[in-house]
Amino acid sequence: MDKKVAQYSYTKVENMSSVKSPGVGHWKLQRISAIGMIPLLLWFIPSLLFSLLGSYEEAIAWFQSPFNTTGLFLLFITLFFHASLGLQVVIEDYVHNEGLKIASIILIKLLSILLGVLSLLCVLKIYLS
Amino acid sequence: MSEYEIIDHEHDVVVVGAGGAGLRATLGMVSGGLKTACITKVFPTRSHTVAAQGGIGAALNNMGENDSWQFHMYDTIKGSDWLGDQDAIEYMCKEAIPSVTELENFGVPFSRTEDGEVYQRPFGGHTLDYGKKMARRACAAADRTGHAILHTLYQQCLKHKAEFFVEYIALDLLMDDNGACVGVLALCMDDGKIHRFRGHQTVLATGGYGRVYFSCTSAHTCTGDGNAMVLRAGLPLQDMEFVQFHPTGVYGAGVLITEGSRGEGGYLTNSEGERFMERYAPTAKDLASRDVVSRSMTIEINEGRGVGPNKDHIFMHLEHIDPATLHMRLPGISETAKIFCGVDVTKEPIPVLPTVHYNMGGIPTNYHGEVVTRRGNDQNAVVSGLMAIGEAACVSVHGANRLGTNSLLDIVVFGRAAAQRALKTVEKGSSHAPLPKSVTDKILARLDKMRYAKGDVSVGEIRNSMQNAMQKHAAVFRSNSSMSEGVKKVDTIATSLDGIGIKDRSMIFNTDLVEALELENLMQQAIVTIKSAEQRKESRGAHSHEDFPERDDKNWMKHTIMWLNDKMKTKLDYRDVHLNTLTNEVASVPPAARVY
Amino acid sequence: MAEFALPKHSKIVKGIDYPLETDSKNTRKVNVYRWSPDDDQNPRIDSYTIDLDKCGPMVLDALIKIKQEIDSSLTFRRSCREGICGSCSMNIDGTNTLACLKSIDDIEGEINIYPLPHMEVVKDLVPDLSKAYEQLTSIKPWLQTNTKPEEGKSRKQSPSEREKIDGLWECVLCFSCSTSCPSYWWNGDKYLGPAVLLQAYRWIADSRDENTNERLDDLEDSFKLYRCHTIMNCTKTCPKGLNPAKAIGEIKKLQLERK
Repeated sequence: MDKKVAQYSYTKVENMSSVKSPGVGHWKLQRISAIGMIPLLLWFIPSLLFSLLGSYEEAIAWFQSPFNTTGLFLLFITLFFHASLGLQVVIEDYVHNEGLKIASIILIKLLSILLGVLSLLCVLKIYLS
Repeated sequence: MSEYEIIDHEHDVVVVGAGGAGLRATLGMVSGGLKTACITKVFPTRSHTVAAQGGIGAALNNMGENDSWQFHMYDTIKGSDWLGDQDAIEYMCKEAIPSVTELENFGVPFSRTEDGEVYQRPFGGHTLDYGKKMARRACAAADRTGHAILHTLYQQCLKHKAEFFVEYIALDLLMDDNGACVGVLALCMDDGKIHRFRGHQTVLATGGYGRVYFSCTSAHTCTGDGNAMVLRAGLPLQDMEFVQFHPTGVYGAGVLITEGSRGEGGYLTNSEGERFMERYAPTAKDLASRDVVSRSMTIEINEGRGVGPNKDHIFMHLEHIDPATLHMRLPGISETAKIFCGVDVTKEPIPVLPTVHYNMGGIPTNYHGEVVTRRGNDQNAVVSGLMAIGEAACVSVHGANRLGTNSLLDIVVFGRAAAQRALKTVEKGSSHAPLPKSVTDKILARLDKMRYAKGDVSVGEIRNSMQNAMQKHAAVFRSNSSMSEGVKKVDTIATSLDGIGIKDRSMIFNTDLVEALELENLMQQAIVTIKSAEQRKESRGAHSHEDFPERDDKNWMKHTIMWLNDKMKTKLDYRDVHLNTLTNEVASVPPAARVY
Repeated sequence: MAEFALPKHSKIVKGIDYPLETDSKNTRKVNVYRWSPDDDQNPRIDSYTIDLDKCGPMVLDALIKIKQEIDSSLTFRRSCREGICGSCSMNIDGTNTLACLKSIDDIEGEINIYPLPHMEVVKDLVPDLSKAYEQLTSIKPWLQTNTKPEEGKSRKQSPSEREKIDGLWECVLCFSCSTSCPSYWWNGDKYLGPAVLLQAYRWIADSRDENTNERLDDLEDSFKLYRCHTIMNCTKTCPKGLNPAKAIGEIKKLQLERK
């Protein structure tokens, strides 16, 4: 068949769409987690700076406050969740080999969970110590 | 001769051109179940229909003024200076109403009235009650009506899965021994292969040939390829002397400022600040017919009342119109004026000049779109297998002068008519008779001659001299001496084609070759245009003869038809104007003096 | 995956210099990307010096002058020369635009002209747009209705309903926007790109169209729509002053509202 006929024929176009993967959920969660991080970061960054000015004991004491521990829990959960969503987009943007793409996304998710759990354990450990 | 790979295609119908007419025909044919190929040298939405601005004429009567298609018909006949065929004009004005409504149903984004109906604006030469007052008849999508219609028709073709061959340039018609058209040979620009399209009907929708002139509103691609193919197939072109000058081309750039801008209240002034159109057309004023306004402007300039340092153009004013209206109704020309002449239309006038805009002449057809010729006493002999529609055709609904908005109407009505006719006459899926090899070989020999042309004159040089000669000798006003000089010049320039040289020898997207082929097409039409003009000894519509300033119905109410042979020699004949109407729903309009 | 070696024909070499012998002070050098598929050569930049006193005001005028007077093999698309047909889109002075609307006076120094970025080149300044056209077809860019209009009558649409598609239907399909979008560069095979999404929204916003939900369903895809990262190059570059980024934002908003 002639090249142009194929190019402009409509049937080919219908088959062109990629395997459908919904986007609005991902897009929405990425925005919600971003919005959620705004107050958490506004609280955390100044606190971190103040605790850096103080002594080691003062810093530990700050971490051991139940209020702060809860805040840190929320922050790390949101942060790693948001990061994994974001990194997934970056991988989808730049990695074009399907197998490698899926592997990288799984790796990113696992890594996020791993680092997330690790962070939570550290916070918990300080709180309990 | 080089060996070309030839790819064969068999269709029921082959449409050449994907402007408004070609797309409307393709749509009608495909949706009716005909296997249709649409061949086009540019992607469909780049066709020149896209540049139409003001509106499409149809007596929809949305503005509550008791408009009717009979008024529209009268205006069109008067506009044509009684050279239009009244049967075809009746058909067009009557069919305008369902055709335009159909366009809206296809999805054209027309502007709207408060009642939610299609918005209509006044336009030059369109009146109520047989010329009593101006009518609001031009259905508009802001000032981008052509864009709206062309894109919508392309979308509808996509919907019906029409088969397009994009960036293919048609080389010549395939004519069999009986003088019937059996298809077309085309060059695919993308890979340089030759494609032979067989069709039981070949529909030429190749547009006008504005580019024979130096300054025109037409696109670079308006080279009338279909008209030239018809000439080379041994068939005549009709009324080629009638070339419309649009009153308001931007001075210098030549780009179009719609008549709709005068429809919305714009007006022209000379160097004395006078609204001179009131003198030339007391009733219609700035909305008189285009030939009238262009002539008046030219007279003003010739009598020393032009504006600018060289007193060589005219001002068009929009600055008195409410900026909100300009924004809503004329956004495109506000932009155009800004970009091409640095003018803010809310503050300053636009410098304008009559500019070549439309070819009333073309391939003679009947109102079904079938190509006709004169064989002996038979003035309406149908050429088997060949149709022509749109600006390429001369139905003739525009006669000696086209009214604004009737060109978009022409393409839609006759594109639709051609599809209806083909659905009646073509047997779906019927086989094609074998074609002797010599038919194709002859066309390829012509292609080869151009492809390997080694002369020392470039396409650009020859094109320039041709355009300048036409600009000078076939202008708004013409005279015996000027035109006979023009004929000599054009003949000489045409012979210079033998010395043409092409630099690009490749076969992939060779625009050097394509432009050379287009130039040859233009040249053939230039010869026919100026010779048709030279022989018409009267003034009618767009043909203003200084030595014969009056219309002469006794001797000249007839269509010119002209053939051109391969030695570039012309043959002249005439066809009668159809003064009869199509039905008895309306009476024929007898010739009268044309006063606006 | 990122490629470390550049594909064939990526390296652009210096081409032919066409000087101009003239007394005119008003000259300008135009550097144009040239590549022909007929030989195995790398692309090159040819330089043409032209006399601006004998040239029209737009970049397209300069290209036509070059083709007419210096090098007739120079290849580019053009048609209407008034910014409505969308043929002459190319990269001029680092920005995608229509050559017929780009004034030479707006460019300082030498004029650099390349084809639209990240598209396959057919020849010189002619890109292969067939994929973009296919994508346009894929969104079913035509009026879809379930009800029929009254026989022989137009559908009604109020001026305020009609106003909602202003700035959408005027697109000339030059694809300057899509080819300026990094996301389209990386994922042009799956991401529809701003030009096509603008058209998709044109039908979603049209009060006469009755298939809004199906249209949104078709677009609800992490690649077709959500590769838009709001970079805004599309809106910045549009030679017709349209705003595809806003249209895409509206589609995302509608997706969110209906979930």
